[in-house]
Amino acid sequence: MITVNGNQIEWEEDLTVESLLKKMNYTFPKIVVRVNGKVVEQKKWTVFKVPDEAEVQAHHLIAGG
Amino acid sequence: MSGVVEKMRASRKVLAEYKYKPAQIERGYAGKTLYVNLSTKNIESKDVTQQMKDIFIGGKGFGLWYLWNAVKPETKWNDPENEIVISPGPIAGITQYPGSGKSLVVTLSPLTNSVMDSNVGGYFGPYFKFSGWDALEIQGKADKDVVLFIDGDNGRVTIEEVDLDPSASHLLSEQLTELMAESEQDRKNVSVVSSGSGAEHTRVGILNFSFYDLRRKAARLKQAGRGGIGTVFRDKKVAALVVKFSSLSGKSNNPADPAKIARTGVKITREINKFDDAQFRMRQIGTANLMTPMNDYDLLPVHNFKYGSHKDAVGISSEVLRSRFTQKMPDGCWVGCALSCCKAVDDFVPKTGPFKGKKVIVDGPEYENAAGLGSNCGIFDPDYVIEANFYCDTYGIDTISTGTIIAFIMECYEKGILNKEITGGLELNFGNAEAAMELIHQMGQGSGFGKIAGQGVRRLKKIFAEEYGGDPVFMQDIGMENKGLEYSQYQAKESLAQQGGYALTNKGPQHDEAWLIFMDMVNNQLPTFEKKAEALHYFPMFRTWFGLQGLCKLPWNDIIPESNATSDSPEKIPEHVQNYVDLFNAVTGKNIDKDEMIRQSERVYNFQRVFNLRLGFGTREHDAAPYRALGPVTEEEYESRQERYDKQLKEDVGINPEGMSTAAKVAAMRKYRQERYETLIDVVYKRRGWTENGVPKLEHLKDLGIDFPEVVEVVKKHL
Repeated sequence: MITVNGNQIEWEEDLTVESLLKKMNYTFPKIVVRVNGKVVEQKKWTVFKVPDEAEVQAHHLIAGG
Repeated sequence: MSGVVEKMRASRKVLAEYKYKPAQIERGYAGKTLYVNLSTKNIESKDVTQQMKDIFIGGKGFGLWYLWNAVKPETKWNDPENEIVISPGPIAGITQYPGSGKSLVVTLSPLTNSVMDSNVGGYFGPYFKFSGWDALEIQGKADKDVVLFIDGDNGRVTIEEVDLDPSASHLLSEQLTELMAESEQDRKNVSVVSSGSGAEHTRVGILNFSFYDLRRKAARLKQAGRGGIGTVFRDKKVAALVVKFSSLSGKSNNPADPAKIARTGVKITREINKFDDAQFRMRQIGTANLMTPMNDYDLLPVHNFKYGSHKDAVGISSEVLRSRFTQKMPDGCWVGCALSCCKAVDDFVPKTGPFKGKKVIVDGPEYENAAGLGSNCGIFDPDYVIEANFYCDTYGIDTISTGTIIAFIMECYEKGILNKEITGGLELNFGNAEAAMELIHQMGQGSGFGKIAGQGVRRLKKIFAEEYGGDPVFMQDIGMENKGLEYSQYQAKESLAQQGGYALTNKGPQHDEAWLIFMDMVNNQLPTFEKKAEALHYFPMFRTWFGLQGLCKLPWNDIIPESNATSDSPEKIPEHVQNYVDLFNAVTGKNIDKDEMIRQSERVYNFQRVFNLRLGFGTREHDAAPYRALGPVTEEEYESRQERYDKQLKEDVGINPEGMSTAAKVAAMRKYRQERYETLIDVVYKRRGWTENGVPKLEHLKDLGIDFPEVVEVVKKHL
């Protein structure tokens, strides 16, 4: 299991940041991702593998009209 | 010159004239304000005091201070002593930093009967300031329609009668621009404020502020939309305000440190050029970029805020709206705005109404237009959204309130509270674009059921209960208004913080105080009441600051700098906060920091709260929210998201939903959510330095330096 924004999510083998965001339906255009407290740059989302028991923060930056 | 304008020119009759020597702008301030009384035709200049600058800063602060001094506790919106105050603020008018051309408009609202403020773009505010004025007070009422001309080139203010038709704002703006300009090129030096016929017939009237678009050769419009300010404008029989100022330059605001402003502006302009296409695409789509993600995250209002998404929402998605915008270049409502979120549909041909078959320019649709007039009414047709947007603007009615009003009426119609006999034959089911468009025409022209609809949701609830037997309890639950103002277009059910962000506001549920849905609901950054309360302190104060300065909020967080990824508080966009501190100091020559920035807002925010108290509002009961904003009212709402709600009952409330009827589950959920909302109020009030009844404590007012005798007198009555 991993936690994403405080929610328990099933971990799976070879889970990348990009596939995790897709799994969460996080489509917002500006998200800052931290895995175990460290920022993962957007250009590495396709290759960075999220380890089991990781704590992931996917912070959507506020917008609004 | 067109025949209409020739006729207008020939008919001009000066009722009052005031000549002045335009003040030299000094560090963002003209040092003078303009007072106009339409009853007595008195025009005079007032001095800006140091106290005004220190305590109220400018913009909304100046508006509140002048309005406070103009009205009595018993003054109503349509009494002559009510004022419309327009003030741009000290930073307004710089051309080196995006979003720096705003005006703030303040008045007593016909919807809320209390203080209203609205932030608007267009060229009027900066041109007005550079004509020598930090604020405009309009008091009294004219006998006949008048136009107020401010000629900043020649130092002349006149109240005039002009033979004109004030019913269509887009035409009047064009005509008055042509009237005041000496050439086509000169039109860019003119800005017009006008409303429309809908403002005369409803309580949701707006003000359109123009800016002349040389590329299109047309006057474009931006709106002071909320709270019926246009209704007050037309009640005073003002047809238009016109300002002309021909000497705009990058130095017009005469700042203390122009080099620092230039450096700060270059920095953010580079960010916009580098990142906007990969972030929010404000230059391509503007605020309509939110349509698709709001639907994806179940936050797009659908069917009077029952739901947060719809399978047909793709019909008015961000990409569909983008495909309808016809300009293929960045487009801003003030000079030098690199974020350029203005969007327009050129050569649009309406299918209905007085402009049927004629080519018009539509400014928008923006997110609020498409969500309010479209999805919230169950209409997913982009042509309808564009046409409704156009007519709301030119009739001078608020797209946000109009969307929420029609959505409420549609739900009442589907529930049988209304029928075709009552609506004059309009079948106002969700999704009926034809009937909705006809209702907008009726609101704009003051005919049929539109005359009732234009009264706003709060009054409609009463009318529908008293005259048509509607259930007042049900309508209270589903009527999306707070303080008399209609909700703007975000689904807040799953974010307690945003429920407070809407209803624990000074003027009513407009998202310009706080937009916390992602922080709260998605990011889970505000897991405790205390954290929610801290956000409901910081963000309303921070956002209030834009309204003191004449700034637009969008360049703060609709473009994200690289530094943000490693920031401790990315939601605040710390680099941009520092930009604003630097801008204020560079304009005024002062030396504030980010804490003093919040204090500046706190003074004005608390003063506005006390102003509400003075007018008979401002206590806890006025911060109540309709239950539709907090949770599922009906069984169909619950069942549409049953998995989510059942899980919440089990995990958050501690109730096993198995075997429970939907009605029982709705009731259990309601009890839980309403208790949490009340707890939120307690904690937020405490954080804001208010009593349990929402009254600012005397020691807090003293600490802020706004314990004026007249303020203390008001507050003491509530302690």
